[in-house]
Amino acid sequence: MRTYEIFLKRDGQEEYRHAGSIDAPDDELALLLARENYLRRAEGDLLWMVDRQHLLIGDRDFVAPNSDKPHRDNDGLLVAAHRKSQRESR
Amino acid sequence: MTSMTPGTAEFLLAFADDEHLMGQQHTEWIGVAPFLEEDMAFASIAQDELSHAALLYAIVADNGQGSPPDDRAIDALAFDRSAADYRSAQIVEVACTGWAHALVRHWLYDTAEELRWSLVEDSGLEPLKDAAAHAAREERFHVRHADGLIDVLLQAPDSADRLADAVRDLLPLATGLFDPAPGEAEAIEAGIASAPFDTVLPEWTDRVRARFPDIDIGTISAPAFASRTQRHGDFPALLARMNRVRGLDPTAVW
Repeated sequence: MRTYEIFLKRDGQEEYRHAGSIDAPDDELALLLARENYLRRAEGDLLWMVDRQHLLIGDRDFVAPNSDKPHRDNDGLLVAAHRKSQRESR
Repeated sequence: MTSMTPGTAEFLLAFADDEHLMGQQHTEWIGVAPFLEEDMAFASIAQDELSHAALLYAIVADNGQGSPPDDRAIDALAFDRSAADYRSAQIVEVACTGWAHALVRHWLYDTAEELRWSLVEDSGLEPLKDAAAHAAREERFHVRHADGLIDVLLQAPDSADRLADAVRDLLPLATGLFDPAPGEAEAIEAGIASAPFDTVLPEWTDRVRARFPDIDIGTISAPAFASRTQRHGDFPALLARMNRVRGLDPTAVW
């Protein structure tokens, strides 16, 4: 058995969203089983499936360094405060 | 709107009974199919068959007038007739306790069903024509599903042997599907169906041979006995299971 990840999208709405995963022996059965397991109540109009072994995965160690860089989160508050004090001192 | 003769009603009941009992048999695999995804898929396909049965019973119940379906009238036809009044083929009545048999029956039945709907796709009975269009959209997936599983299992020697046994066991009963339903000639005369079901038996036979090329299945021919008026020995238990919950309170609204 292989494991497949399933993504569904409705026509005219939003993006593909992860719906779940299934085990299936091959691609053809994966498609058919996904149809009966995830689309039997018209949950989507379009289907993407990917064999999990074809996913490129960034693990925690790879992703983590980006969590400690507050200088990349500029919310503009300091600039706003500076401009306000400039205006009021005129 | 075309009105139905008693013969046409019998003809449609045979189709409805096959769909109903096939759906029921498939649903009984919920929870015990070989793997979770198949468990769900097989029951989902079963629901499609039950919905086809409901469409056909509804046509009989309102004499083909196309009025909104009356659930109680459908249930009365589906559950309340005596065993002798059912017109199902024995292939949908026999108990298949092994997965290989259930899968082979799924393939044999749906391959025949796809051909069967094609004989009423231009029916003069509007609700039946609509039902045929609805069912045809689903049947191609049913057959693909059965094909997909069989493709995989035929590659494993042990599984292939089990499938071969199932094919040999079930073929004689499956040909009973093509046994002319009572009223078929009348239905064709009335423009309800385009041709007798057994005119597609050679096409079905070709598909069976192409599907199982390594299995010597001998000659396939229509059964010599009137199988649709004789219940299989497994039928009473099936009917009892179908009515077990409903029988607790026949007046309940579902």
